[in-house]
Amino acid sequence: MTREESSKVTRRSIRLASSVTDENPEPKPSHPPTVADLTFGEESITLDALLSNFPGRRSQILDLIRLIGPLDSPSLPIMVYGDASTGKTSVALQVFRHLNRPFVYSSCRTCCSPRLLFESILNQLLLHSKCSSNGYASAKRCDKPSDFVNLLRQALSDVMETLGRKSMGKMLYLIVDHVDLIKDWDKGAMILQFLFSLYSVLKMPQLGIILISGLPPDVYYSNMGYTDPLPVYFPEYSEDELRQIFLKTQVNKKLYSAFLDVVLRPFCRVTRRVEELSTTFSSLFRKYCVPLDDLAISPNEDLKRRLYSNLKPHITSSLNEIFRVSSRPHDGDTKGERRQKASYSSENGEELEILDFHMSTSAKYLLIAAFLASRNPATLDASMFDSTGGMDNRKRKRKASEKSMEKKEIAEQEAVMKGPGSFPLERLLAIFQCIASVGDSSFGEEEEEEEATGYDKESNNMMSDILLQVSSLCDANFMIKSGSCPLEGSIRYRSMVSEDLCLKVARSLSFPLSKYLYRR
Amino acid sequence: MGKENPAEKTLNLIRGRLCDPTFVFRPLSGSSDSNYSKLKFIVSTSITEGCNNSILLLGPRGSGKAAVLDLVVGDLMEEYPDSVTVIRLNGLLHSEDICAFKEIARQLCMEHHLLFSKMASFDENSQFIIAMLRECGLAHKTIIFVLDEFDMFAQGKQRLLYSLLDAMQSVTSQAVVVGISSRLDADQLLEKRVRSRFSHRKILFLPPSREEIDSLLEHLLSLPADSSFPSGYVSQFNEKIKNITSDSRFKDMLKTFLNANSTVNSLLKFIFRAVSSMNLESGLLSLENFKTALSSMQRQPKLEAVRADCSILELYLLVCMRRLEVKEQSSYNFISVMKEYKTIHDSFQTSDYYAQNVCLRAFEHLREREVICYAENRGQSQAGEYRPMKLLISASELHQGMRSHACCPAILLKLLDH
Repeated sequence: MTREESSKVTRRSIRLASSVTDENPEPKPSHPPTVADLTFGEESITLDALLSNFPGRRSQILDLIRLIGPLDSPSLPIMVYGDASTGKTSVALQVFRHLNRPFVYSSCRTCCSPRLLFESILNQLLLHSKCSSNGYASAKRCDKPSDFVNLLRQALSDVMETLGRKSMGKMLYLIVDHVDLIKDWDKGAMILQFLFSLYSVLKMPQLGIILISGLPPDVYYSNMGYTDPLPVYFPEYSEDELRQIFLKTQVNKKLYSAFLDVVLRPFCRVTRRVEELSTTFSSLFRKYCVPLDDLAISPNEDLKRRLYSNLKPHITSSLNEIFRVSSRPHDGDTKGERRQKASYSSENGEELEILDFHMSTSAKYLLIAAFLASRNPATLDASMFDSTGGMDNRKRKRKASEKSMEKKEIAEQEAVMKGPGSFPLERLLAIFQCIASVGDSSFGEEEEEEEATGYDKESNNMMSDILLQVSSLCDANFMIKSGSCPLEGSIRYRSMVSEDLCLKVARSLSFPLSKYLYRR
Repeated sequence: MGKENPAEKTLNLIRGRLCDPTFVFRPLSGSSDSNYSKLKFIVSTSITEGCNNSILLLGPRGSGKAAVLDLVVGDLMEEYPDSVTVIRLNGLLHSEDICAFKEIARQLCMEHHLLFSKMASFDENSQFIIAMLRECGLAHKTIIFVLDEFDMFAQGKQRLLYSLLDAMQSVTSQAVVVGISSRLDADQLLEKRVRSRFSHRKILFLPPSREEIDSLLEHLLSLPADSSFPSGYVSQFNEKIKNITSDSRFKDMLKTFLNANSTVNSLLKFIFRAVSSMNLESGLLSLENFKTALSSMQRQPKLEAVRADCSILELYLLVCMRRLEVKEQSSYNFISVMKEYKTIHDSFQTSDYYAQNVCLRAFEHLREREVICYAENRGQSQAGEYRPMKLLISASELHQGMRSHACCPAILLKLLDH
């Protein structure tokens, strides 16, 4: 049962170990950093252990080792690429653990600007660690590529000298992770180009460069062009490889294997990412084990069948929930996240009735009003919300001719493309008043007149409150401000709520939403 | 330690050669009409006759412009010690004027053992440079300015180029400006005032001819006969290399590779890949090494993404998008793709029908992988589902990829066709 956790733990510990050895802090005061810290730090592992640690990555590991080459041999830049969670970073780092050679690892995920990236690389090379005594400052201040090249050259030649004295080889490797993120940086194209041509700019063959990217090399081609590094491709794991990965750290392999027989195939059709599968499998496996008293049991055919029939109803539901847990590991506090959660879970029948967050009644009406204003064309408002409360029965439509059908289809397509429409605040308030009065009237028929007028009176002093509600709905991302209309100059709003969620809200108010919704 | 495996040593030697551009380009510079001799002639006359000059080296990326220049500079430094100073700038790093002047001042200070002040202003730096140019001219020392990525310096106001070339108009100075660019129209980018001061000498770098490639291969791969290798091994290795390079299959491979990219650097990468997969037990290269190198160099990432990375659900979405494109629907978003997905499911009763949120996530995966992307950047106020999308993969790639996919359902292929 702990398989997933432990896989996470090993993965983390890899990154942690690397960050402790070369990136940062808390070196014991008695131990000043030396060049030896540039190696992986732990005991090196044999090639066999390395290969067995990463099922399905054999050819990639061998390829990488061959490209890095034997001791002291210079190397051209390498680019490791592949999808998320295919083991790029861990393989690269563990390969260096196996080779036991000095390297510098910086990830563009943690170093989110050129300056941080450059300084992190320099800090590691200069064996500088940020701590309270130096005010967490970097060794060198450097935010331009030109300064970086000068400083890097200097730092490299110093490190090389020390390495040479300690006979630790003549090569140092620079691993830059998550290169694809640079694309979104400010002036990212420049930095990328710089990084890709760093090898030829530096002209120091002692520095081997390894770039790790989530995207294939072809997305980096720009009209500027540069000589691209040697590609090493990490494909997504196949089904068999996934099985090996999941079984690797299991205690009761037989039981888990029986479990995988059942679940792996259907889930693989949706996604093959280890991180996503592992979270789903952990909860499913718990359900799978519910009928069992003894988790160490090795199941026979009969038991397997029984367990399967027990699990079967859960599979379909969790197939449709597969991303829910992994995408949002913690229950968010903001309403926006809950809204998404609510709309994600809305597919499940049993949850449809329950609204899993609290809202005031007027906020609910506002939400519905905004939804209606976004979906219905403004020209139909009058007929929808006339004095009869939208109960009018529209005339039976004439049989549509072929041409009008075609027109309708095009209009429909356009509507899908446009998404929910935007509306001014006045329209929202008008619809809100209409539906709120209808909603109230449904409680007591005889008091209709009184109630409606009473509400009108009340709404005048409630106006500021309603505006507050509107702004809090905006904050919660139920509605967004979509820019002002150039003609009117007023701000327009747009509803972001899915139909399922709105139906749920309407049901909790017992409000007949479908009656007011215009269907093409 | 002392007893090293000869195979490993060979590997180290050849890899070292491949990573050392001066070694690679040395034999190509032998003949009298090579770029090396042309460039060397121009630069050396300006050294001996004390005149100013400017040259552009043009050619595709990886054709050895910088390497040949380095060769020339290195040789001239040996020939005329103490009278050549080289200042290197790179357009990628120093395209800003302030930064470029500072870097020139820094390198000049380093060269002449002066104290460089980081705080010096732009004006001070430029006055310093002009003064240094005059001093060097009086002392008959030549300064060679190497401007890599020359086209990047031509962006903006071109102050650097103007002040360098303008300073060179005076009789006292003695400098050579060498621009390196992969843009063949680099001199057209110059402003009028800069262009009139530029000499318009250009040296074009062409891809190597067939004979040159053959001699290059031999130069790179054959082991020296002398030295510490066991003599039997050297002859065996060289014999094997000769066998491989004269093999017609190898020639075909080389031809297909050079058809895609015929610069020297890409050839080096190809050989590097092949050599690094050398069998260390036998210590010999084989034709197989080159074959695997070729296949790993010529990748089609988009095709691979479909073949190896996409799950069945993601393939469904791609097929739906493709079908919408075939229907000539001008633009589509997630909602319309879901509609298509639903119609497919309704008419064929496929087993892969998932909830919208699962599909949305699969959609996001595809977008992360850059197989699809948003058609336009504006409209970010709209939720992702409603933003128009487009495929970044061609129909044939999709087709080919799905055909070679491990477990692509037959129905999908059928749906893709019509």
